Amino acid sequence: MDITLQAQELHYLTLSQRQYSHEQESMQNPNHHHQQHQITTSQTLESIDPSASGKWAEKLLKECAKAISEKDSGKIHHFLWMLNELASPYGDCDQKLAYYFLQAFFCKATESGERCYKTLISVAEKSHSFESARKVILKFQEVSPWTTFGHVASNGAILEAMDGEAKLHIIDISSTYCTQWPTLLEALATRNDDTPHLRLTVVVTAGTGGSVMKEIGQRMEKFARLMGVPFEFNVVSGFSRLGELKEEDFGVRDDEAVAVNCIGALRKVSVIERSSFIRMLHRLRPKVVTVVEEEADFTSNLDEFIACSEECLRFYSIFFEMLEESFVPTSNERLMLERESSRSILSVLACEGEGGGECERREKGSQWCERLTGDFSPMSFNDDGVDDVKALLRRYRAGWALLPAQGTDASGLYLTWKDEPVVWASAWKPS
Amino acid sequence: MSCNICPPFCASAILGQVLSLYAISTQPTNQSIYNHTLSPQSLHYYCYSNISLFMSVTNDLDKFAMDLIDAIAKQQLSLSIPQLIHNVHDSIQPYNPSLAAALQLRLLALLGHDHHQTKVHEHEPSQLLINFEEKEIHIFTLLLQSANSISANDFDSAYHSLLVVSQLASPFSSSPAQRIAAYFSEAILAHVIRLRVLGVIPTPVHFFQHQHLGMAFQVFNGITPFIKFSHFTANQAIQEALEQEDRVHIIDFDIMQGLQWPGLFHILASRPQGPPTVRLTGFGLSPESLEATGKRLASFADSLGLSFQFHGITEKVGNLNLEQVISVTEKEAVAVHWLHHSLYDVSASDHNTLLLLQRLKPKVVTIVEQNLNKGTRPFMARFTEAIHYYSAMFDSLAATHNEDNESRSIVEHEILHCEIRNLIGGPVAGEVKFDDQWRVKLSESGFRRLSLAGNAAAQASLLMSMFDCDGYSLVEENGTLKLGWKNFCLLTASAWQFIS
Repeated sequence: MDITLQAQELHYLTLSQRQYSHEQESMQNPNHHHQQHQITTSQTLESIDPSASGKWAEKLLKECAKAISEKDSGKIHHFLWMLNELASPYGDCDQKLAYYFLQAFFCKATESGERCYKTLISVAEKSHSFESARKVILKFQEVSPWTTFGHVASNGAILEAMDGEAKLHIIDISSTYCTQWPTLLEALATRNDDTPHLRLTVVVTAGTGGSVMKEIGQRMEKFARLMGVPFEFNVVSGFSRLGELKEEDFGVRDDEAVAVNCIGALRKVSVIERSSFIRMLHRLRPKVVTVVEEEADFTSNLDEFIACSEECLRFYSIFFEMLEESFVPTSNERLMLERESSRSILSVLACEGEGGGECERREKGSQWCERLTGDFSPMSFNDDGVDDVKALLRRYRAGWALLPAQGTDASGLYLTWKDEPVVWASAWKPS
Repeated sequence: MSCNICPPFCASAILGQVLSLYAISTQPTNQSIYNHTLSPQSLHYYCYSNISLFMSVTNDLDKFAMDLIDAIAKQQLSLSIPQLIHNVHDSIQPYNPSLAAALQLRLLALLGHDHHQTKVHEHEPSQLLINFEEKEIHIFTLLLQSANSISANDFDSAYHSLLVVSQLASPFSSSPAQRIAAYFSEAILAHVIRLRVLGVIPTPVHFFQHQHLGMAFQVFNGITPFIKFSHFTANQAIQEALEQEDRVHIIDFDIMQGLQWPGLFHILASRPQGPPTVRLTGFGLSPESLEATGKRLASFADSLGLSFQFHGITEKVGNLNLEQVISVTEKEAVAVHWLHHSLYDVSASDHNTLLLLQRLKPKVVTIVEQNLNKGTRPFMARFTEAIHYYSAMFDSLAATHNEDNESRSIVEHEILHCEIRNLIGGPVAGEVKFDDQWRVKLSESGFRRLSLAGNAAAQASLLMSMFDCDGYSLVEENGTLKLGWKNFCLLTASAWQFIS
């Protein structure tokens, strides 16, 4: 295909057409392998006219991904150039998506993905204090049910499964800094029968500082005291991969009823270790395992760059749009969430295989169902639980809805944003 | 001290100079903290070590800058930090522009903190960068590092430094230093990608959001004096030049929404000898916005009883012939006005624009220029100039509007940030800009300067008194009016008449 022609077409698509009718000058460029696809640059680049070209970022990004997968360096340079001129991390959704995906594609093209990812993670770790991280999570929970949906669904399942138990041990593998547990503690405290004893073991993946967990632990203990719930707080840390964890690490006692709470946790397990991780959970003999995951598939297309890019783009377009509509334009919290997403995008698209440690290869609810079935069988959420979720959604802006999983092999509940399933919550008991 | 065998960047000589600059005023006893740099061994070290290595050891640079400031404070010297910055610039710049820029930047950043109430954020000493001010120093160090890397054609290092800045600085921060850093890192990162992808000759395009500009400029006009300064002084000069004319043709090279002209119409309509017939030619980006502007102005002129005709042109000024702009047959007095900015291109070729100006034989040309060089210059020069210019701009906005987040944010994002991106990106292919300021070019091309020292200056002073802030500096110099922030000149207004 004639590259220049394609370039013109894309220019037409993305540039607004009012403007100076200059002749197309082609730039002389000393790097000779660029010459056959030189872009016309004499026009000033007007801002994108949304009515004329729709979602320009999606189109350009798809073309760029295609060029990368075909290893067509001429085209790659051309699309990187175009994206670069139009993108901005502080603009509208299209500009932001273009910017973050551009960085991932750029790192991929320059083979610097791992290095850049490590840098980003290291900076993020060093610059996040307990207060700043908590602020982001709390604000996000205030404006969107994205994380609270999973919390409410899981708490409902846990309370149902642990009904009547005197000694509870919840193993919490999540990254929401224990914001899930106050409501559960409250529910335990206000139950008619005797308040059970609760042990909370939090699994801390690399990156969350020790002092952060200490702060969290102190707050939880204080809250439990206030609620009158006998409480013990433990932290499991010091491992580099979730897949390394063994049953002994959790210190489960014989007289306890165990619940394992996995919020965005399974996706952090390396793909090859997922089966063994689930088996390990089974060996804990839990009364219930709650699994909450974001509805995206970056795993089955691990080796197909175009398919993976498109799925990434699909998911993060929804996420960024949702963020834009939920937060005020000058929100630092939203910026933090966008940057977190950008690290994810970079690790999925620009890092080889599993990437630098904590690559989060998401899978869809149906895929997790397949993995969990066998060792576990699904538990449906009771009516109270579902009502709680519905009540939760009513507290937020319009656009959110609840969708039970359809189909014979499917189980769980979906949170939908503008009819797109975005988060999947499920509960499992050992079979 | 000379250093003949040293590499071109002779750090020791420079350090020696800087140290001797204020060592003159220091007490002998306190020179001990600087002895390590004066000793032959350390001079020797600095002499032979690579300057970029020196500069990349940011701790040294920071320590040096902090030591300088400490020493001054301890000594209660009358040498203020701005003076020191000036001295550093003068003494180091000729030898090593990079080091001069580095030191200046560090000192500027440190100076800036005195003027802001920085909240001490919660921190974990072992993990966080220590406190807010240090974080900003760190950010600016990285920005500078990236600029140096670009000058050294090391684009990968530059990208890396900028990646870190892009994670640390937020454009929504309460600190203007962070906001500037966020936008600069975006601009420089885009430039690094350009260089890395396209090689030695990057081809930037102008960056701005057309549909937001009108609103953004209205906000800008509301919260800063810069646009009104341009309008008031120009209208005064134009009015004076056209006093005796019956047929008037005003040409606005960048009319936008035509905010300037109602004021002039008013003046023209209230002339004792009766109003002139007015033709207005406005250059703009889109036919739709030009049409809207034309209608608006026509309606206003009508309400004043002013005979008015509007002509909108979307072509760039430098691409037009005389006949396309004015009617050659009718005898009109021509006034040309041009308020510069760095958002998009107005002239295409500066040279052709100048020729057109000459052919128009205007009675008056009013130009308001930014204190920025738009010609072809190396990256480091563009970066250094831009960061000083926009530090002043962001500072002025922060000082006057730190609470009014929304308006300030709009101006920073839609106008200043886009300008930064364009300036960092450098000249766009096909657009040829003068290296000199327009007022220099005009004075060399048959134009005579009309002094703004009289009524125009009075108008400007009146305007400044309306803005409840004493940070703005208004200076009259050789008939031009300069508006700046804390004595840093940002805009220069001048008026000209074509004589031959």
